[in-house]
Amino acid sequence: MTNILIIIVGAVFVNNFVLSQFLGICPFLGVSKKTETALGMGFAVIFVMGVASLFTFAVNKYLLLPLNLEYIQTIAFILIIAALVQLVEMVIKKFSPSLYNALGVYLPLITTNCAVLGVALMNVEDGYNMLEAFINGVFSGVGFTVAIVLLAGVREKLQRSDIPEAFRGFPITLIAASIISMAFVAFGGLV
Amino acid sequence: MLIAAIQFKAILWPTVILVALSFVFAILLAYLGKKLAVKRDEKIDMVLEKLAGANCGACGYPGCDGFAKALVEGKAKIGECNATPMANKNEIAKILGVDNNSVPTIVVCACRGGNDAKDKYYYQGYGDCRSMEMLSGGRKMCAWGCMGMGSCTKECHDNAIQINDGGYSEIDRKKCIGCGRCVAVCPKKILKRIPATAKVYVACSNHQRGKDVKAVCKKGCLGCGLCAKICPSGAIEMVDNLPVIDYSKCTGCGLCAGKCPVKCIVKIDE
Repeated sequence: MTNILIIIVGAVFVNNFVLSQFLGICPFLGVSKKTETALGMGFAVIFVMGVASLFTFAVNKYLLLPLNLEYIQTIAFILIIAALVQLVEMVIKKFSPSLYNALGVYLPLITTNCAVLGVALMNVEDGYNMLEAFINGVFSGVGFTVAIVLLAGVREKLQRSDIPEAFRGFPITLIAASIISMAFVAFGGLV
Repeated sequence: MLIAAIQFKAILWPTVILVALSFVFAILLAYLGKKLAVKRDEKIDMVLEKLAGANCGACGYPGCDGFAKALVEGKAKIGECNATPMANKNEIAKILGVDNNSVPTIVVCACRGGNDAKDKYYYQGYGDCRSMEMLSGGRKMCAWGCMGMGSCTKECHDNAIQINDGGYSEIDRKKCIGCGRCVAVCPKKILKRIPATAKVYVACSNHQRGKDVKAVCKKGCLGCGLCAKICPSGAIEMVDNLPVIDYSKCTGCGLCAGKCPVKCIVKIDE
């Protein structure tokens, strides 16, 4: 039980994918203009990360390991992730067209989101069992959601504040992201 | 022999596994794709078929597809597209069940100064009209005149607008689809839309007095007002030293163009 708790806290705060490991920066900066879309993106990533963890774990353990084929992990995992993202895209398009439009190109880009591939590869690297891998996947997604929603909140405030002209737009976003990231350094050593 | 067999297996297994995985996912996605298919309004495709298909983006929507969607949803008006022929617009209006109230327009360059307008400085940059405009309002002494650097030419997808030998923009009516990209890009705002039925247009945009205009350009409007006086239907009015033609009154007789001392009222297709 402690083990699981450590994985959860580690995935969400200490080893936050975006803020500590700098993976998945593309949607982090791309879809963080509005809190609602950021939340939608976060849930999409949670779903993909969670299910991808399960599938990749199964494929790795029951297909690749017995045949000594660990070296095609990357390709096989990307294949699984791509199929899952396609599925998520169809579901979102069907049930929430407005969210689909808001996410735009960043939704299919989850396919090549290094955070998703990263979680799959790290599950293998850390030798998690199936439950641990799933928990790690879901809560890494939660960590991503926390990060992107935080940044979206900051960006919404920034829109109404008086910023020096040279910093308007993207530069101030990067500065805000770096300050949030520094705040998360404080969690280091917790686990 | 043994080594060959091992190597063969080393190639075979990854291939088999990846193909099998892909196959499973493909079937799954194909099935779910049918199950979760989103019904698209048939009207959108019908409208899209009738649109010009130039994907010029002048309407402000992402391509003709986006415009067709906006039309069906009632967010856009058919008049916002200039590239679509009138007959097709009428058909689209029928599909949508609204009136087609758009007037076909053409684009004209309201300046014929070009090389006859004096230069303020000798420009040595690589830039186009927009960068030249930033350098103290362009190289021409006339602040309204065509600078002839061809931003409009670069913007046009159909090669319909060129800088002619006179040094100003000229539009090839046969090629122009009227999308209006050049109108948007011109920093001097001298590419103007007029109704396609127009017979004459004013080819000068300088609002200064006659004497000042004459000092900078040989082709500029002197603001004499002869055109306004001679017009039999009263369609021309002088506003800020320039004639303004009311095309709803203009009969296209062409008297104004004949009377203009500097020939800055131009007959179309002359």
